[in-house]
Amino acid sequence: MRYIEWAVLFIISGLGIALANFVGFQVGFMESLPGVAVLLVIAFLGLVASKLIPLKLPIVAYVSIIGLLAACPASPIREFVIESANKINFTAPLTMVGAYAGMSISDQIKTFVKQGWKMILIGVFVMTGTFLGSAIVSQVVLSLTNVI
Amino acid sequence: MEKQYQYSSLGERFRTEWKIYVLAFVFILIADSIGQINIPLGAGRFILFPIFYSLILGVLSGPQVAKIIKSKQVKAASKLVIVAICPFIAKLGINAGASLETVLSAGPALLLQEFGNLGTIFLALPLALLLGLKREAIGATHSINRETNLALITDMYGPDSPETRGSLSIYVVGGMVGTIYFGFMVSVIAALNIFHPFALAMSSGVGAGIMMASATASLTAIYPQMAEQISALASASETISGIDGIYMTIFIGLPLCNWLYKVLEPKIRPFALKSKEDTKVEEA
Repeated sequence: MRYIEWAVLFIISGLGIALANFVGFQVGFMESLPGVAVLLVIAFLGLVASKLIPLKLPIVAYVSIIGLLAACPASPIREFVIESANKINFTAPLTMVGAYAGMSISDQIKTFVKQGWKMILIGVFVMTGTFLGSAIVSQVVLSLTNVI
Repeated sequence: MEKQYQYSSLGERFRTEWKIYVLAFVFILIADSIGQINIPLGAGRFILFPIFYSLILGVLSGPQVAKIIKSKQVKAASKLVIVAICPFIAKLGINAGASLETVLSAGPALLLQEFGNLGTIFLALPLALLLGLKREAIGATHSINRETNLALITDMYGPDSPETRGSLSIYVVGGMVGTIYFGFMVSVIAALNIFHPFALAMSSGVGAGIMMASATASLTAIYPQMAEQISALASASETISGIDGIYMTIFIGLPLCNWLYKVLEPKIRPFALKSKEDTKVEEA
């Protein structure tokens, strides 16, 4: 995708976030605007980084790291970034993600049904095992390193 | 060399995708008007988030049910998921920066819990073998099976291999039920009170953005007083998984899964359900 396509699609996402924040949490559009702008600028910088830096990492990794840098104690704009992002409720950006994700798998319903109960059961075990394995290691290491 | 783009211009993209955007806004209106619903369930609770409703509405709008969108738009939507999740990831990154001390103090745990993602092999592989799967089990249980894993398995074993069939099955199952199941599972595990909320938070980052989002939404609803640190740790863990996930699979996950298969398969075979292929052979 070209930068201009990304930019326009990000702005559409931003409008979706503002809408969700208004409908779900009664935060007005103007009040959401700085937060939405901050999130979109960081997302765009992450995109630029992923195109310029030859290291093959997923875009979301760059976006996450730039978000962290913008809000870390060394950042000169830390206060502004944190304060404006806090106006955006945690789940507000997610509704649009769900809508797209749902549409993107909408041609798999028949395949899903065909998998039968065995694959669904195995899928549940796969997800549970991935999570539970991490939880056990995390709990042990956090206790050993006296974080909890 | 000229780069190949999917669309010749922004205008062409809009002509193909406008219906997707309009639907997304309609779904946001509906889903966020309903809002979050808490259903008490034994010791835990089942928390329904707007993302679940919009996901279901999205699935129903497709070519196999309501037929509002066609196959071409279905393909386009999967690219849009990445675009839409970026601002959310930015928000989590900001939370991680704001709670940098928590993230740094959890550093060793954050790095080591990556190995915990291999837990799927020990839990799901024996079950898959008991249910009568053969080599499909490798593809199905070596990892959480999101896009990168499916691509990797297809590349390594070939598109027609049993390994790829297994991987694709779990990919489809995860896509259909993963988001909702993850949110539910996390609230049940949290209710057991075995794990500290921080441990649960960093386990949410499994390398699938939307599953992490669902798990983290549940956790912040259950522990609102720790919401900031929870999303910070989930974000750090998801970022690390995104970076190391594919290497973990290639160098540890798959070899481990293949080894365990060799050890367990002969032992489990006598007790396993017969697969279709076995039955056919016996009938012949």
